[in-house]
Amino acid sequence: MSFEMWAEKYRPKTLDEMVNQKEIVERLKSFVKAKNVPHCIFAGPPGTGKTTAALCLARDLYGESYREYIMELNASDERGIDVVRETVKTFARVRSIGEVPFKIMILDEADNMTADAQQALRRTMERYTETCRFILCANYSGKIIEPIQSRCAPFRFTYLPREEHDKYLRYIAENEGVKLLDDGLDAIYEVCGGDLRRAINTLQAAASLGKPIDAKIVYSIAGRANPADVQKMIETAMKGNFLEARKQLRDMIQKYGVAGSDIIRQIHTEIFRADIPEPWKIKLADIVGEIDYRLVEGADEEVQLSALLARLVEAAHEIKGSRKV
Amino acid sequence: MYQPWTVKYKPKTLKEVVGNREAIQKFVEWVKSWDEGIPKKRAAFLYGPPGVGKTVTVEALANDFKMELVEKNASDYRTEEAVKRFAGLASQYGSLFGTKRIILFDELDGLTGTADKGGVKAITDIIKMAQCPIVLIANNAFDPRFANLRNYCLLIEFKKPPTTDVLKHLKAICLKEGIDAEENALKFIAQRSEGDIRSAVTDLQALAQGKKRLTYDDVAWLGFRDRQETIFTVLRMILYGKTCEGAKRAVNMADVDIDMLFEWIYENVPAHLTDPHDLAAAMNALSMADVYRGRIRSTQDYSFIRYVIDFMTAGVAMARVNTKTTGWTPFRFPERIQALSRSKEERAMQLEIGRKIKRRCHISATRASKEVLPYLRIIFKNNVEMAAGLAKWLDLSREMVDYLAESKEKAEAINKLLSQNP
Repeated sequence: MSFEMWAEKYRPKTLDEMVNQKEIVERLKSFVKAKNVPHCIFAGPPGTGKTTAALCLARDLYGESYREYIMELNASDERGIDVVRETVKTFARVRSIGEVPFKIMILDEADNMTADAQQALRRTMERYTETCRFILCANYSGKIIEPIQSRCAPFRFTYLPREEHDKYLRYIAENEGVKLLDDGLDAIYEVCGGDLRRAINTLQAAASLGKPIDAKIVYSIAGRANPADVQKMIETAMKGNFLEARKQLRDMIQKYGVAGSDIIRQIHTEIFRADIPEPWKIKLADIVGEIDYRLVEGADEEVQLSALLARLVEAAHEIKGSRKV
Repeated sequence: MYQPWTVKYKPKTLKEVVGNREAIQKFVEWVKSWDEGIPKKRAAFLYGPPGVGKTVTVEALANDFKMELVEKNASDYRTEEAVKRFAGLASQYGSLFGTKRIILFDELDGLTGTADKGGVKAITDIIKMAQCPIVLIANNAFDPRFANLRNYCLLIEFKKPPTTDVLKHLKAICLKEGIDAEENALKFIAQRSEGDIRSAVTDLQALAQGKKRLTYDDVAWLGFRDRQETIFTVLRMILYGKTCEGAKRAVNMADVDIDMLFEWIYENVPAHLTDPHDLAAAMNALSMADVYRGRIRSTQDYSFIRYVIDFMTAGVAMARVNTKTTGWTPFRFPERIQALSRSKEERAMQLEIGRKIKRRCHISATRASKEVLPYLRIIFKNNVEMAAGLAKWLDLSREMVDYLAESKEKAEAINKLLSQNP
């Protein structure tokens, strides 16, 4: 077993090594051949190879010293307009020396950039097109402003098909001397849904237990690694235990830094799945919507969401009463 | 002999007065200007909160400049007639033996009601004809009653001295009294006084007189006791209030600020309003109070605070419909506050680790701290070798290893492995 992050160790180095996203890879290879790359948007869910594709492209294009020609910026960490103005410009305007006349800027998680920063980016992209090409990676291309989209070649990444996913994980397991059972593999696919980074992280964490990996181990790892158990919190509230539900909420927000907007979105989904009389679902949706609006107005996340939990306690109480009758 | 320390350690010279250097400078210059003839403003009006050294400054100045101080406070001159008599005594006469004279009217705020009718006007008349410096002192110079009087006065504002200045003063007293006081203890007293030096010194005397040592526990315990009792009364008025007015009044009694009071109510509502309908109504009221707090922030209009108060007090009180008051339920300290400061450190640590992951793994620090770190935690708990390997690969600091390992034994085992293969 090797002691580094497997997700990194098994990240493909060249476009040839990329097993999935076949069509995309073919197009990228043609860019390498022509030694020309347009501005690109790589859009798609997490763990589908967007960043990997960008890095592979760069390596194939510039060779082993590719790091000198690219810059990676994570919009989630530095998403303000200043970063675009300063860092991006400084990088973009200096011409590269070598066979390829431009450098590549990889902007990861670009959909987290503010609209202002995107506007600034748009102008930078235009001005320095000759010296720098941009690859924007994003989960949702819809969050990228239209003028940028129209300047970029779009690439749509999709989740790995099941066979590819299985093949890759089995390969890693074998290489690391880890026993991966069939039901364990099924479970990984089920909890990670084709997000390869998450799948590999889950595999490694499961392997750290030093036992053959079965479904039970995978589920327990997934449960511990994903604290945002909104479903459980709703159940607690519906059972009438408000204080415990509020504590779970507090942990989610404070300890694990889950955003209030994410929690409320999940509550909204869960309500329609819940085992409650149909008319109640729409009543609760009204309450969720109201609280969501208060949150948007800039109120305190825990106070607002716990007010919502109290309404769930109340609803469950009324539903129980009406069922008895 | 018992003597209040406020008297015993009263500054004798201007140098010893705590804080307010600017105000004192302005005052001194005005007094000095009398040497070159009668200035435009024949009176100085010193104003500011209680206990910040207004009277002390005038006394110290008279002492420094060897002036004769004629001092009267409000209770001495309650009527126009009395003031005139006093004025005749002090103001119109020059100094007989060459000593300069300064007249002080202290505690002007005390002039109230019909008994003092005409008092302010009489003082104004005296100032108009004054041949020597006149000093007025009040907490609030902008009281409408002083509107006309103010025109004849040089206004000098005295501000609350910073805690550090109060602290210095308290330290000096302890030194002279031979009390070995913990810095924390004195700091606590200084902070509690909020710039009121007189009350700080009074507190110090009450707590420390006759002692050789003063510890933080001596002091903090006292402060906490009376504060806690007040907050419990306030909570009772709100959570068990029968009228809106009664619940709202509780805010005035609380000696914590509105945000902290909100936290106290927010913490204690669920245990005291157990009926689901009441609970939902009370939490909704708090949610609305919180919405108005947001509106204050976004509009910068503080007057919305009244709705915050309405909802968090009356709104909560009126939520009680079905819950029966049975037995006694204790009040609890707002846990969220503690949890928040604890988790702020924790989040900072998580982000630091996220940055380490970012350097290696082409993922943002923010996402790494949320998506990769939980897996690391599992690995650090289960597999010492793999953990040590990863710690080295990611270049994690010792604190980060300790944090991820959660238990001390695991952390030690990992660190030991790390030190063996650096």
